[in-house]
Amino acid sequence: MSLSEVKENKEALISEISGDTRFMSRITSIGLTPGCRVRVVKNDKNRPILVYSRDTMIALNRNECRGITVEEVTA
Amino acid sequence: MSTGATIALLGQPNSGKSTLFNVLTGMRQHVGNWPGKTVEKKEGSFSYGGKEYKVADLPGSYSLSANSDEEVITRDFIASGKADVVCILADSSQLQRSLFMLADYAGINVPCFLLLNMADVAEDQGKKIDAKAIEEKLGIPVVPFSATDVKSYDSFYRTLERALSTNAKIKIDDLAGQYESIKEYQDICDLIPDNTIEGYSSMWLAVKVIENDEVVMAKLKNSLGADTFNKIEAARKNSSGAVATGGCKFKWIDELLGGAVRTDEKPVSLSRLDRIYTNRTWGKAAVILTVLLGLIASFIPALPLMGVGEAILAIKAPVMSALSSAGCPEFLVLVVGDVIIQSFSYIFKMLGFVFGVTLVFGLLEEVGVMARISYVFDNTMGKLGLQGKSVMPFLVSFGCTMGGAAGARVIDNWGQKVLTIALAWAVPCGAAWATIPMLSSIFFGPGAVAVIAVILLTMLAHMWVTAKIFGGKLVKKEDRFGMIMELPPYHKPKWGALFRYVLGRTKETFVRVTKVILLVCGIFWLLSYSPSGSGGILYRLGVIIEPVTKFFGLPWQLFLSYIASAVGKEGAVGVISALYSGGSYGTAFSQAMAGGADTSNLSSLLLANVTKPEALAFIFAMTFNMPCVVALAATFQETHSAKWTARIVLYYTAVSLILAFLAYHIGLLIW
Repeated sequence: MSLSEVKENKEALISEISGDTRFMSRITSIGLTPGCRVRVVKNDKNRPILVYSRDTMIALNRNECRGITVEEVTA
Repeated sequence: MSTGATIALLGQPNSGKSTLFNVLTGMRQHVGNWPGKTVEKKEGSFSYGGKEYKVADLPGSYSLSANSDEEVITRDFIASGKADVVCILADSSQLQRSLFMLADYAGINVPCFLLLNMADVAEDQGKKIDAKAIEEKLGIPVVPFSATDVKSYDSFYRTLERALSTNAKIKIDDLAGQYESIKEYQDICDLIPDNTIEGYSSMWLAVKVIENDEVVMAKLKNSLGADTFNKIEAARKNSSGAVATGGCKFKWIDELLGGAVRTDEKPVSLSRLDRIYTNRTWGKAAVILTVLLGLIASFIPALPLMGVGEAILAIKAPVMSALSSAGCPEFLVLVVGDVIIQSFSYIFKMLGFVFGVTLVFGLLEEVGVMARISYVFDNTMGKLGLQGKSVMPFLVSFGCTMGGAAGARVIDNWGQKVLTIALAWAVPCGAAWATIPMLSSIFFGPGAVAVIAVILLTMLAHMWVTAKIFGGKLVKKEDRFGMIMELPPYHKPKWGALFRYVLGRTKETFVRVTKVILLVCGIFWLLSYSPSGSGGILYRLGVIIEPVTKFFGLPWQLFLSYIASAVGKEGAVGVISALYSGGSYGTAFSQAMAGGADTSNLSSLLLANVTKPEALAFIFAMTFNMPCVVALAATFQETHSAKWTARIVLYYTAVSLILAFLAYHIGLLIW
């Protein structure tokens, strides 16, 4: 599933990141890489998604997130 | 004093780089642009141990890729050898993520050291970091640091000296080992000798090839044979790009930190303030309220300097009469009073505002509130090609355009900053809002409400069109992307450093805008000056070109008042009233600017001389004209570009006349 489909307060593991060169470089440099665990803190329409990963709160534009595929962690 | 080394500060946004730079250099800093680039260049200096060190605050970015001019400038500056040592900052409270910059730097052949900034915050969070263990693995000096703690700086200076004397370079073997897990890495690496591009190791270049870094690829194409380059290109196409190399970098960081960092896991949640800012319903209102409160708060530190401005204006009349009675030639008296004293009154009022706005909005930036503003308005402002932060200068401009221009300083991308200022000019300022309802109610009675509504709609359309016209050049298409940004934890401000920074900027503003304001006020005064008291170049010109200006709905009296409104909108109505009651333009102008014009019988005077369509034309021309001389000076100060300032001025003059034309002719259809 896409990161933007993860419900608030759920955790997910990033399985794949795809997009153009610029996007891949930007998304990795802020700390999101395959295998990385993220927690979706806020997921409202018309606002960037808020995820928490590597001790950091990160705001991501919804369109940009389409290239981030995740597997939800059930626990 | 002997010359010491040049230090470059490198770090991700929110790593505390600016605070370090401000504390180190204090008032000894200079902000300009990189030659030929739309990127801001911050330099400064400090002395330590009898040596004068230079500091370059490199633009903040998350990595050293070729995503933006900022990043390319940063890495070229370092690799070209302009810096003797690079100080890399990481945030101790988010060490793993913020060490990415270090991992991206590894392989550049310039000595460096690592500051683990915000050590105090990490400690409060229960994180224990063993800097010595990291130092041993890295091979460069590593020091825990807190940019907001004065005592930390001793260790900063000592570490700096140590990095210089030992010529410290990062050990890259382990990192190279990680990269070897990428199948194509070794092949590419073998094809690129060290220093194929000066200052970079073959590992660094090979990694950038895999990341498909355009700038590196173009340079390699030039310096390697076509045969070699084609082999590299073929290998690159098979690799999985920045995602693979990013993974390697983080694995290396994990190994680096393994055993060196202990943390107590705490569940994450939004703070109460963040729950308000991120609220779907109330977030925008909360941001607007924050900015408006900030605007009001910025008047408090501004008041003393504004008082000085008022005091200077108060001595204008006594000084002028004293000079006259001492037998001074009239021309000289007028230059002293109407140009010099008047200008300095403007300048000090402006400085007060710049001081207040820079302090309050600098504080909001440092504390972390500005990042929330960015988040909340990202979608809205993104449509104009701007960052969410741009909403702040727009709101401030309803009060005063120069405050908006000064506030645009928190926008870290130069092009977006210039575009923000250009759009902020379209927002009618406080002085315009004082004039619009007054004139509208004289002419249109209750219809004034409709006029105000149309002005607001015109403002929005104006901003949209201006964003389209200037946006293409200022914010390149590839720079328009959605937000990928850290929302930093709230920080305690460092008051001393903030004050020194604000004082430094105010002083620099003073030096630069004094020239601009004296020049522009002087030119306007000369154009309106008439020795006999009845002429003046502007007056004569206004009368001669009246057939043309009437086309825009402006008889010469209104046209001259429109010209005066470019100096200061406060004076526009005073000039009209003086001209229709038969006063000379020179006197009317100087009186109106000093706020002393007689407007008591304004409404009968206006109704007798001006038609409704003309009044409407004037309201639009005045409102959307250049805001004032001081806003012009502030724009020049913030953009560092005479070219862009001039472009914006010409554009606004043209658009305000077009709007006047439209208003006049629509008015003619109605009345």
